Amino acid sequence: MSEPLPYLSANSSVEERIVYLLNDKDKKAISLIFDNYGALLLNVIKRVIHDQMMAEEVLQKVLLKIWRNAEAYNDKKGSLFTWLVSITRNAAIDQTRTKDFRLSKESNRSIELVSIHNKPDGNDEIEKMYVKQLMNQLPDVQKKLIDLSYFGGYTHQEIANKLNMPLGTVKTRIRLAIKHLRSVV
Amino acid sequence: MNTREYIESGILEAYWAGGLTSEEMLEVDRMADQHPIVKSELEEIRKSIQEYGQLMGKGPDHAVLAKTIEEIGEGDRFRFMESLNGEEPEVIVKRVNVVPVWSIAASILLVVSAGFNFLFFTEFKKAKDQVNELQANMEAVKQDQLLLADLTKDQRMELDYANLRIAHFLNADNVHVRMDGLPISPEAYANVFWNTKSNAVFISVDNLPEPPHGHQYQLWAIKPGQSPIDAGVFDHNQRVQELKVIKGNVSAFAVTLEKEGGSPVATVEKTFVKGFLKKS
Repeated sequence: MSEPLPYLSANSSVEERIVYLLNDKDKKAISLIFDNYGALLLNVIKRVIHDQMMAEEVLQKVLLKIWRNAEAYNDKKGSLFTWLVSITRNAAIDQTRTKDFRLSKESNRSIELVSIHNKPDGNDEIEKMYVKQLMNQLPDVQKKLIDLSYFGGYTHQEIANKLNMPLGTVKTRIRLAIKHLRSVV
Repeated sequence: MNTREYIESGILEAYWAGGLTSEEMLEVDRMADQHPIVKSELEEIRKSIQEYGQLMGKGPDHAVLAKTIEEIGEGDRFRFMESLNGEEPEVIVKRVNVVPVWSIAASILLVVSAGFNFLFFTEFKKAKDQVNELQANMEAVKQDQLLLADLTKDQRMELDYANLRIAHFLNADNVHVRMDGLPISPEAYANVFWNTKSNAVFISVDNLPEPPHGHQYQLWAIKPGQSPIDAGVFDHNQRVQELKVIKGNVSAFAVTLEKEGGSPVATVEKTFVKGFLKKS
């Protein structure tokens, strides 16, 4: 187990705060992990399990594992995210060995239809609409690249295949898209 | 490869996409640890992706978190609603203070207050003691004053009596008889002034012992060949007083101790003082 940080300051990073709270056995740590890494971890799961609902179930298991094995994290060995990803990958692979996973593969299509209906539209608030307008300034292809790469669980190779793009172009275009995104948000 | 080339290689973007192996991720971690620019670049990329996901409604359903927390169990330190709605920094920064600021302030106030309490109590006690002392002093002064007043009164009375005696001495009409102590009271003495015009008799009680309870001194006028004539009982405390009128050929005056109220017959053996008139 890593040594607990003696204190936190106002400019402590999110990672430092989470590690501190984990060592302190404070559930707020899980909440912070969810807010800051949840989408990225779900994305990691989706690389293995494409189904959104099942991926979310796995994420729930992952969060529990993180909570229960918090003392296993050692910040000397690597970053928090690297540790989280290794737990997440193992959990996702474990899931593929379950009966649930095999059954879901057969009814994948119907579940996908349901998940489309469940998507929040986010149009109810004016502010959200405004920011969404800003986001829409991103070229469609860039949004697509970000969506697939960070939220859809697609590997660069899969994206290249899907969008009929050379692998190298996928990499540089994702980088460009992130750069563009950072100028907007 | 320098840091700029490293950043531009796209490896940091791949890191967050989950596109790197564990070994590759650890390599990025090492680079980030060694180069602050890499670290901040890495964090900036994560933030922009996170923000994008939040605004576009991407990412996991919040129910996932809610269920997880539920499964972890109710904990006193966790405030669930806060975690769902609130921004984390303020709450976290507050946690930094193991002892909350208000309680530090409260502790300081308590200590200061206790100090003041002690101070005030000490002062109060001191003041109370002083008041008590003053009261005692005042009581003593009051006693002194009373004593002094009594003394003054006595002295004034003495002075009045002295003046009265002098007046009787100086009165040319008065015959003065000094009565000296007899064997039962050799130290005693008294004076009699007898006004030859009004025949009034005055006694000056100068030095007679305190009469026993239920007894009084009585003055007698003695004429040759007669029993002592009652000249009146007198108050031992009154220095100078007017007694009876005595006429005739008085040769001496004497004071006897009699029962209270006086006696018609003089108890001669209890004669304290006696004096003869000077032969003119």
